[in-house]
Amino acid sequence: MRLELRWFAVDAVDPASATRLGGTRLEIDLAALQRVLAADPRLARMRLDCVHPGERCRIGRVFDVVAPRAKLDGGQDFPGVLGPVVRAGNGRTLALAGVAVVLTDQQAESVGALAVIDMAGPNAARSAFGATHNVVISAWPAPGTERSDYLAAVRLAGLKTAVYLARAAREAEADHVEAFALPPSPRVPAELAHLPRVAYVFQVHSHQRPTGLDEGILYGDPVRRMLPTIVHPNEVLDGAVLRGFMGRSATTWAIQHHPVIRALYAQHGRTLWFAGVVVTVAQATEPERVRSALLTAGLVAHALGADGAVFTKIGGGAPHVDMAQAAAQCEALGVKTTLIVEDMSTDGSADGMLLFDFPGVDALVNVGSSHEPLTLPPLDRVVGADDLAARLGAETRATYGTLCGAIEQVGATRVMAEVR
Amino acid sequence: MTRAPLRVVCYLNQFFGQLGGEDKAGVGPQTMEGAVGAARAVQQALGDEGRVVRTVVCGDNYAAEQGERAVIELLALVAAARPELVVAGPAFLAGRYGVACGALCAAVQAHLEIPAVSGMHAENPGVDLYRRQVHIVPTGAEATRMLQDARRLVALGLKLVRGEALGAPAVEGYFPQGVTRNVVAAASAAERATAMLLDKLAGRPFASEVPRPAFPPVPAPRLAKTLEGATIALVTDGGLVPRGNPDGIEALNATRYGAYSIEGKPGLEPAQYDNPHRGYDTSWVKQDPHRLVPVDVARELEQSGAIGKLHETVYSTVGVATTLAHSARMGREIAEQLRAAGVDAVILTST
Repeated sequence: MRLELRWFAVDAVDPASATRLGGTRLEIDLAALQRVLAADPRLARMRLDCVHPGERCRIGRVFDVVAPRAKLDGGQDFPGVLGPVVRAGNGRTLALAGVAVVLTDQQAESVGALAVIDMAGPNAARSAFGATHNVVISAWPAPGTERSDYLAAVRLAGLKTAVYLARAAREAEADHVEAFALPPSPRVPAELAHLPRVAYVFQVHSHQRPTGLDEGILYGDPVRRMLPTIVHPNEVLDGAVLRGFMGRSATTWAIQHHPVIRALYAQHGRTLWFAGVVVTVAQATEPERVRSALLTAGLVAHALGADGAVFTKIGGGAPHVDMAQAAAQCEALGVKTTLIVEDMSTDGSADGMLLFDFPGVDALVNVGSSHEPLTLPPLDRVVGADDLAARLGAETRATYGTLCGAIEQVGATRVMAEVR
Repeated sequence: MTRAPLRVVCYLNQFFGQLGGEDKAGVGPQTMEGAVGAARAVQQALGDEGRVVRTVVCGDNYAAEQGERAVIELLALVAAARPELVVAGPAFLAGRYGVACGALCAAVQAHLEIPAVSGMHAENPGVDLYRRQVHIVPTGAEATRMLQDARRLVALGLKLVRGEALGAPAVEGYFPQGVTRNVVAAASAAERATAMLLDKLAGRPFASEVPRPAFPPVPAPRLAKTLEGATIALVTDGGLVPRGNPDGIEALNATRYGAYSIEGKPGLEPAQYDNPHRGYDTSWVKQDPHRLVPVDVARELEQSGAIGKLHETVYSTVGVATTLAHSARMGREIAEQLRAAGVDAVILTST
């Protein structure tokens, strides 16, 4: 498998009468884009806004963020969700840097569970999305639309927009090309056979809340009864895995730029041999959890023959333990593990940082505390949350968890909780 | 504009305050003008930055035996000197002295609202008792490097007085206080995890970023009687509440629990119950509460005589993101009530 991400840096985004990429300026025909998105009967109306780094603006009700990507020569963008199931991870994919598609959720009543993005002030520097030009989609549900169907429609609009924007680069010359090539796992050249084999165990979803039928996560599958399975890392980078609808400190954007897969690729053939990716789901019940942990460790140790594995989780406390149970099973089979965890303490005490204590699961990296307070300073304009504009525009007490992109559970961010 | 020298009060025991040895350990709180005994090292460390206006001294035994009363008396003497910073000790490995230093520093911070620092050896009991509230500088076991130790206490104290942001405990030189703070690392979590794994694989030392949980395992006690004679209670942290959630148990980060009667009920009627728990998919429990709290089966066991009696009160809370402190308190309170009611054993269902 060989994937080429063909990168185009964008440093200006402007509404225009035609969509085109000229140098580093992306012009968007918002009316034409709106026509592309309008056909969904689950949505009553939609609005598109463009916001820019440095603008004194806050995006509210943030649901997910998607990176603009489009396959260049055939293939299927976001397979299983935007179209048929076709293997992702091979061939050339257009990728815009400096632009993001931000999806908002106009339906959630518990807006505390949603997030914001600040385009100016101290919080802009705390999130990758404070530095990108953001195309913000606000869509309202048609009467009678179920919540899960509404979110599926919003996400579909986001994915279509991501493809629409990236296609503007079809005729342009890429700034640089990133190649991701990994041979089938057992084929290690003799001169590199001494390198430790490292796998990545990627928990892609948590069943802590009911998962919708249209909540496509792995090639469009809502992973409701999914047992651990092996995928090629390129499939993850190229749109085969999307974040589910529970958005706690995780974005589809981070998965498309997957930091663990990139870190392992960066060391591949030098200090380690990247043995592959196991995707798992945080299960809802103990028997399912035990079975999943057992099978995960079997795939890592016996199928991939890994000496070590990096683990990440998604969702909250149950997935945190689920991940650790799988890691403990790996350690029991002699596979060394490191885990990326959140600081799970809700009162800032170091005692509550961790919800497990298993033998051998002793190498932990953390992505910080989502509960630590943060101030949202007053900003001039609120986008994506008209109903909350007065409240969200003023100075507000918030937490790291409510600033989208400040903490990415897959390990993209640099924030960490330090014990003082 | 030059700032007036900082007003500092030092606290010492009878030995370091030069009143005498163990024979003077019963001496009550005393106050002396200026820097006396070991406080002279603090004055030297302060230089022109501050002045030790008074030295407060108390015997080790008096402080240990009088406890809170000694702290109140000492606090009054400290307050009278109107300090901006209190330096207690260093107490090295002297246990009674270390505990007194920690207690006084905590009281000074709480009541006078000014910074206080102390210094101790890691094994001084004062460290474990007070490091969460008080900045305590690690020192040797004995007073062989008094001036160097005093300099470290003073440097930390001056930072606190100036309101400067403190770095990590290892960098600044104080015992960790057991609180977490978000900071920005040099590399992403993914890069750090990869580097840590390579270290672990190569057998090199690595520093985990999360301490292991401090709570010890709790061994289950043995049931002293047979099940046929035992009263069994049902307790859950899975969030079952009567419809309307009368106790207002929080959906996460709970601080409350409820006690709900099942007297006269052969089972739990779904329509009468609800579940605010935000940590798991509650659909199945709402459909049939027995999936969480098995009153139906327990009643059968009671009727068949397999268990002596089912306790008529079910205790329930929401166990998600609950702090260790609240968990421990709620567990203790529920256990006390169960014991008072003559319950012999508990079936605890979690999610």
